Amino acid sequence: MIKKIDDNMLDVLKELANIGLGNAVTSLSQMLGEEKINMDVPIATLIPLQDVPDFLGGGEVAVAGVYIEATGDVNLTVLFVLSLDSASNLITSLIPGTEGEMDEMGVSVLIEVGNILTASYLNAVSMMTDLQLLPSPPQIAVDMSGAIISTVMAEAHLIDDEVVLLQTTLNTMESQIGGNILILPDYGALEKIFALLGLG
Amino acid sequence: MPFWDSGDPMANNIIVENNIIKVKIADLAVQKEQGIIITVGLGSCVGIALYDFATKVGGLAHILLSDSTQFKNKGESFNKAKFADTAIPFLAGEMEKLGGRRTRFQAKIAGGSQLFAFQNKNTSVGEKNVEAVIRTLKEMGIPILGQDVRGNYGRTMRLFIDSGKVLISTVGKGEKDL
Repeated sequence: MIKKIDDNMLDVLKELANIGLGNAVTSLSQMLGEEKINMDVPIATLIPLQDVPDFLGGGEVAVAGVYIEATGDVNLTVLFVLSLDSASNLITSLIPGTEGEMDEMGVSVLIEVGNILTASYLNAVSMMTDLQLLPSPPQIAVDMSGAIISTVMAEAHLIDDEVVLLQTTLNTMESQIGGNILILPDYGALEKIFALLGLG
Repeated sequence: MPFWDSGDPMANNIIVENNIIKVKIADLAVQKEQGIIITVGLGSCVGIALYDFATKVGGLAHILLSDSTQFKNKGESFNKAKFADTAIPFLAGEMEKLGGRRTRFQAKIAGGSQLFAFQNKNTSVGEKNVEAVIRTLKEMGIPILGQDVRGNYGRTMRLFIDSGKVLISTVGKGEKDL
């Protein structure tokens, strides 16, 4: 049992997220025809569960969320969140000639992007930690950000009063796509990662 | 500071503006005579509004999970507002402190939806939450006056303390008066 998650541990998680998500963003950039994507340095925070929706703009704003659960040696939840405008621009970028509608085709584009981002991230984390991580099929929802994030936390059984949230923002230079990636490890995952890295 | 640390149920509530109290996930608030209690973005979570028409005492809880008994590691800071089976009795108790009487409480509930189509899970968290809320209310003898539960979309819930009215708003599905 981890007694307390300290700043050192958060730094390690942040670095893991930085490298892993860096790979993921490179994949996305290639999909978008080598478009330059800016990714903020991920933040790793230990925050009250109740404050997590605020990281997505407060709760009531409509967003598209792609949710992937990674299982295997540890359990991680990855959530890729886009504003509706960004989702539309992303669809248009990947299937030129469309209006970026959230129809069956549009939704499958978003799911696929979520899949690729997540797989790249999980691969990188696997390489660094030797942990085996298997992504579940992605799920998508278009709804209030608060409803999406709270549902994900409940489904992922993140029941502690404080959660470790790894978060970054990415923005494209030309096609005006901005998104958030949230990674929510459960306590078991954190214990294993810290133990592997000699921080337990 | 979360209210369960301070023992004050109102300590963690955000007063948005005059008499509007915002209830976060795994939180609750009570109020008397006037004002609005709001909770935003109910997905699989369930919002439970209790109201006593005689004294105009009302309360709103936003639960995340159904059952506290599977989580034994509760400690002294255990948050009762997180679970259906502990939040509703706690909410009722807080309302009694404001002069409400349990035998007059009536409930309106919303949420418990399944936003994501989890293929490999038998029962969604939302469904479990709805069932637990209904069961707990039944055990406490509190009638359910209105409900807007299940489905696959998120909801925001507003309880008007002066009237007991509960409004549900959604993204693209309009507003509903429970």
